[in-house]
Order: sequence, then C-alpha cells, then structure tokens
Amino acid sequence: MQWWCAALGEAWEWTWRPYPGVWVFVALCIAAYVLMLRRTPVPAGESRDLGARAAAFGAAVACLWLVLDWPVGALGAGYLASVHMVQFLVIVLAVPPLLLYGVPAQAYRRLPPRVIAALRPLTHPVVALLLSNLIAFITHVPLVADRLLASQLGSFAIDVAWLAAGLLFWWPVVAPVPERPWFHGLTRIGYLGAQVIASKPLFIYLTFAKYPRYATYELAPRITNLLTARADQQAAGLLMEVGGMLILLFAAGILFLRSTSREEALGRGRPVSRR
Amino acid sequence: MSSAIRRAAVFIFAASLVIALGLAARLSPGSADVDDASLTGVVLVDPVPKPAFTLDDTEGQPFQFLERTEGKLTLLFFGYTHCPDVCPVHMANLAAVLNDLSLETRERIEVVFVTADPERDTPERIREWLNAFDRRFIGLRGSVDDVNAILAELQLGQIVHGEPGADGDYVVGHPAQILAFTPDGLLRAMYPFGTRQTDWAQDLPRLLRFTPDASLGVRASSGGQES
Repeated sequence: MQWWCAALGEAWEWTWRPYPGVWVFVALCIAAYVLMLRRTPVPAGESRDLGARAAAFGAAVACLWLVLDWPVGALGAGYLASVHMVQFLVIVLAVPPLLLYGVPAQAYRRLPPRVIAALRPLTHPVVALLLSNLIAFITHVPLVADRLLASQLGSFAIDVAWLAAGLLFWWPVVAPVPERPWFHGLTRIGYLGAQVIASKPLFIYLTFAKYPRYATYELAPRITNLLTARADQQAAGLLMEVGGMLILLFAAGILFLRSTSREEALGRGRPVSRR
Repeated sequence: MSSAIRRAAVFIFAASLVIALGLAARLSPGSADVDDASLTGVVLVDPVPKPAFTLDDTEGQPFQFLERTEGKLTLLFFGYTHCPDVCPVHMANLAAVLNDLSLETRERIEVVFVTADPERDTPERIREWLNAFDRRFIGLRGSVDDVNAILAELQLGQIVHGEPGADGDYVVGHPAQILAFTPDGLLRAMYPFGTRQTDWAQDLPRLLRFTPDASLGVRASSGGQES
C-alpha cells in the first residue's frame, strides 16, 4: 500500500486505492484550523463573517483532498500530465486563497512580531511572485519532476512545494499582514495580471514541445489510445493557460468589486460637495 | 521597496533566469544535440544478420521477413495485444515519431510486430490493435514454437506464458526491446522499454544511413542526409 500517490508504472485500474498519507495531511490541516480558532478570541462585532471564513477553509481542504487522493492524485502522479496540471492549478491557484481567507483577521494579528518580520520580505508582492513562479518552474523541469514523481516522498514534496508556492503567491492579496497600504485594489489586480504573464513560459514549454517532456507520462501505460502522450501534454499546457486565466480573472473580478464597493462606502461617508 | 527586498527580488529573478535558461535548454529531452553521432539505443558490438523467417501477416498471407524488408530500416518487436504496459507504449511512441518523418523517409522504414500470444491474437485483433498506432505497421503471427525459434536465432529470451487468473486473463513474458535492423540487413541496435520519442527522433535518421553500399560506421556516415 502506498501512503502518497506516486508513479507506479503499472497499468491503470479503476479500482479504489487508499492513500492514508493524504488523509493524515487533510486531518492535520483541519485540526490545525480548529486549534487556531479555539485559541483566537473573536471580538463580538467581528464574529459575523466567521461562518464564511470557515466555509472557505472547508472548501479549500475539500479541494485539496479531491486532487491529492485517488483517483485524481494517482492519475496526476503517474499517468496523465493533464490531470497533473489540474492538480497544479487547484493546489497553487484555487486552494491557497481560500485557506488564507479562511483564517480570521484576529489570527493574523496574533502572529508573533518575529514571524511577521520574517514574512515581510518573503511576502512582498515582487518577491512572492518571483519565488512562487520559481517553485512552479523547478517542479516542472522534466528531470526534477520525473525523479520526484517516481517516489511517494518526492511526489509529496511536489504537492507541498506547490501549496507553499500558492500560499506565497496569494499572501499579499489575501492575508491582512504585513500591512501594505499601497498594495490595494488596482495594484492587486495588476499583480494577478503579472502572474498571467509569468506563467506564459511554462505554457509555451509544455504546449509547443514537439515531443513529450516527461518520461513519467510518456512511458506510463496508456489509459486510452485516444489520448497520446503528446496530446496529453498539450492538453496540460492549454489547461494551465485557460484554467489559470479563468481563476485569476475570477479573483481579479472579486478584487475589483470589493475595491469599488469600498470606494462607494467611503464616498457615502464623505460630505457631498455642492456647486 | 527596501534594499533587502530589492536584493531578494533581484536574486530570485537572477536565479530564475539562470535555471530557466540552463535547465530548459540542457535538461529537457526535446533539446538533444542532434549532431551527436552516438545512438541512444543499445548498440551491438557484433551486429547480427537479419533472420530469414516466414510467418503469416494479418491478411493470412505468408510474409518472408528477409525479402520483404530488404533495404529498409526494419524495426522488429515481439509483443502481444493484451499487453497492459510495455507493448502499447513502445508502439505509440514509435508511431508518434514516424508520423513526423517526411513521406520519403517514412517509406524507408518498416515496423514489424510479431505476436507472442498467437492464441488470443487473431489476425483481425492484431490488425485492429496496430491500426490504433499506425496502419502501415506489419503484424505477423506464427506458432509459439516458430516465434521462439526466431528469438533463439536472435539470442533473445523465450516467450513465457503466465498462469491464467480468475478471469482467464494471463500475461506473456517476451523480450521488451525493439530490434533495429539497418538497411544493410544487420541488427545494430536494440531499444529497450524506456526509449523516449526524442531517442527515436534522434536515432532513426542515423540508422537509415547504414545502407548496403555505404561505408559502415555511425561516425563515418554522419554527414549523410537527414530527414
């Protein structure tokens, strides 16, 4: 029995397999969250949005479980590059903003000053953007990916690295600390736009390759003859482009709406000048 | 932006650039040095002559292997259509690369598949299975004894049929390598399971240079035409 999904080299079977490592990982995430909520006193006035935050965290953990466990996790780790890309999109772009939003503002404020000081340079938008893309790039280098996917520990390392990259990328946008007053509405949308550009090299690298890049997927027993290794890789590249774009557009839309509603609220609070 | 953050950003950007340029260019399989004269397959020190055998093709007609593949780069593979892993992957990767070759080059190459499981592999099934990869692939069928005799001549392992499971299905042990007979009629290289499409793309044009009238040797003929 495997504890984490990795490339097996065996013919694919639609027979359920348990991956206890995934369950433990998900359970630890939930336990940490519950513990954090218990230790974080919520002022009476701010408890209203706790339900929404808990729901966001729950959705994030559910998504994480879905893409790490059988069948998605197993297919992505050893059979289809396109499924691997779905995992990447969910772990890097969908799960982290929900996780970060799920944490109440009080919990961020209770972070020790030392931690905030350490986070300040790492979560600076420029550094976060570069570092998260560097992680994404390294984990997609064929030599690295093929070696890591062949073992459970390596596959686990990829998934954790992706989650870390995603948290790093989304932290400046979602987390309220460290405070950066200059990084607001439109600047944040620009940051998401920069990510669209930053992901282009990887998209081109995968989509326009003449031959499959990854031995893992090229030499994996085919699940269907309808999808060649090359077509699978092209699908992965397109998924990255289209899926990534849609998620970022959705996030930009939310940021825009929040920004305009905030401005409206501020406008209502101001005295109206009369000519 | 503080100087520490600026330094960190510059460092990460520089590291990204170095890794992007270095790894993408050197480590990716798509960027193999096509001028390197060495074959990626397992090269035989003493090339073996192409065997002369006759088996039935998928039309039920006798196929004289030696005569019908004369002067062509012949890629011979022993497998079976119920194979869950090695055979379909080998065939698919080879087909993908052959599909990229010019028509002229493609016509100089024959792929011959000999079933190691004649009991289940009917001519129709072999044809249907091969057509999923390339309709030009040749499928041959003979008795297990006939096929084992060919394998013995090529000094390869014999066919081994596994015990049937509850569903009657069984695996078949067979050589997992594709044998490359160059146009001069010699087995010069073998391609084990794990051979990538980039390996084929690199080696096929080189294998084609071993024509009967050419001075032999990969390096000596490296100036020949390439598709």
